[in-house]
Order: sequence, then C-alpha cells, then structure tokens
Amino acid sequence: MLHVKNRLAELQRMDQLVRNFAARHALPEQATFELALALDEILTNVISYAYDDAGEHDILVHVSLDGCDLRVQIEDDGRPFDPLSVPTPDTSLPVDQRPVGGLGVHLARRVTDRLVYRRESGKNIVLMTKRVDR
Amino acid sequence: MDIAESKRNDTVILALAGRLDANNANVLEDKVGALLDAGEQHLVFDLARLDYISSAGLRVLLVAAKRLGAVDGQLGLAGLAPPVREVFDIAGFSSIFSIYPDVASALKQ
Repeated sequence: MLHVKNRLAELQRMDQLVRNFAARHALPEQATFELALALDEILTNVISYAYDDAGEHDILVHVSLDGCDLRVQIEDDGRPFDPLSVPTPDTSLPVDQRPVGGLGVHLARRVTDRLVYRRESGKNIVLMTKRVDR
Repeated sequence: MDIAESKRNDTVILALAGRLDANNANVLEDKVGALLDAGEQHLVFDLARLDYISSAGLRVLLVAAKRLGAVDGQLGLAGLAPPVREVFDIAGFSSIFSIYPDVASALKQ
C-alpha cells in the first residue's frame, strides 16, 4: 500500500514506484508503461478535482500481481466521482472540433482490461485490472 | 521535463526531454502560449527524447494546434518514441497531427 499526497508532484514518484514494482516482477516494458499511464491519469483527476479544500489528503494506491493479473486500486476521500461517468471522446474529430480535455479516463480505460468504480464508506475506490504476459 | 528552443528560418523548434505530465504541462503551455502571442506561426516539437506523455501533455499540443489552425499556422511533431506514439494513437491524435520521423523531415514540409 502506497500513500500519495494530493499534490501533482507526486506523479513522478508514483511512476518510479510502478517501474520498480515492474522490474521486481519482470513485467514487459509496454505493460509497465501502460500501468504507469493508467495510474497517472486516475491520480491526476483525483489530485486536481476531488478536493474542495486546499488541505493535505492521503490517497491510497495498492498495486498487486496475482499470476498474470495486475491490479491497481486507488482510494481517495474526495467528493464522489465515477470515472466511468466521463463520456467516451470521439477520437475521430478534426483538430478544430476536438474538445479540450476528457482524454485521461479514456486512456486509462484503453490501456487496462477492466476499470470498476465503487463508493464505499465515504471513499472513491477505482480498481483497474490488466492481464500481462510473463 | 527539459525544453530546448531553437529557430530555423521561420520555424521554432521545441525539443522536449523527459516526462510531460499534469505536474509540468503548464510550463510547456506557458512557453507555447508566449511563442504564439509573439506571432510565431510555425512550430515543430522534437519529441525524440520525450519518454512519457499523459493526457495533460496532449491537451497542450491540442490547444496549440487549435490556435495555429485559426491563423493558418503549422504544427509538426517529430521523432515520437513508441510509448508516446501509443498514447497519440489511442487518443486519435496520430491522424490529426502532422507527424514526422525526425526534425529534418518536419522542416522540409
């Protein structure tokens, strides 16, 4: 279990921790990058939008590997937010019609196999799973 | 992330290195904003040494492309490494941006 503060500067530290985890478990390079990206995008949303106050909050991140199933759980005590409620962007639109924003959750969903959300005891819990070749 | 700026004729080349995420995207946004405010209309981003990009980085590039498109300017991206290219592909950015293998090819356009 990793404790992350609600500061964007934490993103780089988390990236390093994911890479260390991947190295320990000999995960393939592409899967490692995709895991780091998915975690970054969900954490970025939490850190940027979940809290109404400027105070410090703990976000809990748990990364585990069960056989070939990689699991990442992110738990925050911010306002209720279901990432799955973000509409899927139309990625075929030309530049001038492309809305700015809304791509983060899309990226996280596309590089993982499953993303589920639940609200429990005043917390948002996002669980992403990804199958990896080992 | 490091940003190195250079100029070839009327094209500004921004070489990015390291990691472009939500924590530092504003640095690039300010840099690009200042160049566009100064009237620059031709930008090439050299991404050969960029290891990582998240949606926050894509956002900066999209905003720049929109502004340049509105003034008939040009934005080229050069030398994308495989992880960066993957993010572009998933976001549908590979088809809406002009992507070149390297800066030299981008400058020929």
